[in-house]
Amino acid sequence: MSVAIAGMGWVTPLGATLDGVWQALMSGTPAHEVELKAPDSARVFRCLGVEETLVRHLARTPRLRRSSSISYFTAEAGLTALADAGLDRETAGRERLALIFAVASGGVAYTRRFYEKIAREGAGSASPLLFPETVYNAPASHLSSLLGIDGATYTLVGDATAGLEALGLGQQLIVADEADYALVVGGEELDWILCEAYRQWRLLNMSGAGEIYATPPGGMRMSEGAAAVLLAREGATTIERIPDSLPFFRRREIPDALGTVVAGLPSADIVVSSANGTFIDTAEREVFADRAAETVFAPKSHLGESLGSGALTQLVCAAQALARQELPGTRSAAGWAAVNRESRSLHGVQSALVPVVGLNQQVAAVAVRRR
Amino acid sequence: MTAAGVVSPLGVGLEDTVVSLRRGHDAVRPVTSFDVSATRSNTAGQVLEMPPLSRGQAGEDPRRLHPAGRMMITAALELQRADPGFFPEAAIIGTTSGGMTYGEAFFRSLLKGEAGPKRGTWLANYAAQKPVLDAQRAAGWRVPSQIIANACASGTNAIGHGMNLIRSGQRDRVLCGGYDAISELVFVGFDSLQAATAGKIRPFDRDRTGLVLGEGAALLALEEAESAARRGAPVLAEIAGYGISTDNHHLTQPHPSGEGPYLAMRRALESAGLAPEAIGYINAHGTATTFNDATEGAAIARLFPHRPPVSSTKSMMGHSLGAAGAIEAVFTLLALRHDFLPPNINYQNADPQWDLDIVAHEARPARISRAMSNSFGFGGTNAAIILQKS
Repeated sequence: MSVAIAGMGWVTPLGATLDGVWQALMSGTPAHEVELKAPDSARVFRCLGVEETLVRHLARTPRLRRSSSISYFTAEAGLTALADAGLDRETAGRERLALIFAVASGGVAYTRRFYEKIAREGAGSASPLLFPETVYNAPASHLSSLLGIDGATYTLVGDATAGLEALGLGQQLIVADEADYALVVGGEELDWILCEAYRQWRLLNMSGAGEIYATPPGGMRMSEGAAAVLLAREGATTIERIPDSLPFFRRREIPDALGTVVAGLPSADIVVSSANGTFIDTAEREVFADRAAETVFAPKSHLGESLGSGALTQLVCAAQALARQELPGTRSAAGWAAVNRESRSLHGVQSALVPVVGLNQQVAAVAVRRR
Repeated sequence: MTAAGVVSPLGVGLEDTVVSLRRGHDAVRPVTSFDVSATRSNTAGQVLEMPPLSRGQAGEDPRRLHPAGRMMITAALELQRADPGFFPEAAIIGTTSGGMTYGEAFFRSLLKGEAGPKRGTWLANYAAQKPVLDAQRAAGWRVPSQIIANACASGTNAIGHGMNLIRSGQRDRVLCGGYDAISELVFVGFDSLQAATAGKIRPFDRDRTGLVLGEGAALLALEEAESAARRGAPVLAEIAGYGISTDNHHLTQPHPSGEGPYLAMRRALESAGLAPEAIGYINAHGTATTFNDATEGAAIARLFPHRPPVSSTKSMMGHSLGAAGAIEAVFTLLALRHDFLPPNINYQNADPQWDLDIVAHEARPARISRAMSNSFGFGGTNAAIILQKS
């Protein structure tokens, strides 16, 4: 039994409406840039951030008043996906609706602030207001509260592949008849400590530029946001198959692991890639070496690496491309004929593959088809 | 369930653990791994000793691994020794804080301006999925991982979802469990909320003053019954039911009515096709905080008028958060297989809010067929599973 996408939503550095972000991707509009400064250092991280005005209206919601950015992004994307499907927010909780939230680093800003007080001033200065927002499932709890869900709410944590694990869990719940709808949301927020960690891991592009599929990889640009899909039994775009994801223990194992994951999938007209300017690009390029020209789109070239939100953002891009029969160009892409560089129309394209290579040892994929 | 592995303050392995449970061992000790001079609470249930791992067992230098990774490997190897023919198709594991202590070390090194060579190790082992991958590598498994972070309900959610996958025919063999290692951030966090006690942890006691934290890891091998029978695998017990509910009252406090825990337990019974009277023992969530015990106690009293025996094994080892549901499932398994009920130690005065049969102070001999294990967490996540003798 396959499940379908009944609604979608996203909050990105290019905007927060389904159509607006897509048009910005198609036109190559630059995303909103932010600079994060590391304290006690002159280091500046050039990132792509969500404009605060896009989610400010949620601050009027009592439950979200003290919450962190990631909860705002998660709520906005989730509510947008419900609205896109025509589900009423006030009654959604009565619709056998499950919520599955995917995250990599979670409420990192509050976590860093909470621990910074402990480290600098001692445990006695710890804030009881900040601590609850540091738990991974805080965003899901807030969104569940807004929707009045009294059934299944799950938070999954991992690398970028957590988004597809969450999609798989949503599908599993519907197949097992534990739910009729599954709202799957991935979210992430920026903080300088996150950037510093990836800088030390030598995965960050400090110039704020960087190419996709370059040799050697020049590093990624950190980003934030959320993406959501509402899974149901009916819908125009179906989740054709979510193969088992696989771990890898060394980077050189990635091509084999990714090749195994996608091996059993039907051939796809387009690939919406997880390339982000790191070792991921090299592995994907090896696995998809035989792709036809101009069939690969790498949305992280526009939107940056938003970790827990990244995979579902790719999925929304894939569904949009199939629905609208058009494919955005990949910005700053190095030489590989398979990469689509200029936005263009598609004709009769029905299927898409979304591969996801995580930065922390997992690979996953999903195949989608438009009826 | 064909095999299990456990690491907790009450023992490494099932054999040690059953001895500690029968004795009502109090494993809570002063915290030694970070400064607790400024916190109200200063004790925890800690895993102070584990058998050493070789590089061959760990797949890398075991000194680089996070303590959570070492606990998970130890639990996985115990499970594998018990049932070497178990090859999972998926791993569903709960946690709340991953390798948090390595994140703390990384942050403190930044504040001090130290550029230590350990930073790479800290970053690589901070991610929540890393201990799960450590366990997979050590056991020779290579399967998809779903890492559930539903706060303190995570471990029970992992087992329950694993059961549902098998019951619905989507999987035949699932590795389930949970892990968490004590960290300063989480310890201070509970202390800042005044949820942690300066004294003894006294679940369901009228004069309870809060929780103490614990740590550990537990893994369970779940397999579709006919599949296990075909290969002649040992069957330790069955997971008969699972209930999940979400309480939207508050991020950290349950609704005073106890409706969330009540729904989770009732749904577990419905999932198992059982009446409340079928339950012979409840391993309660029982954190010993004022609100948690009040809501859970009220929900148990409402749903189970036949007064099944109840205990919170957190009284002996503290609250191991994302590991708690998995560890307590193993404790419940041991109770079923060894015909005893583990005690709720430190219990002095009954709370007049409810009439519960608390297994106070000492383990109680009992032949039971079915037991329930509860886990409730921040964010309003509530989960209950039912174990039954095979």
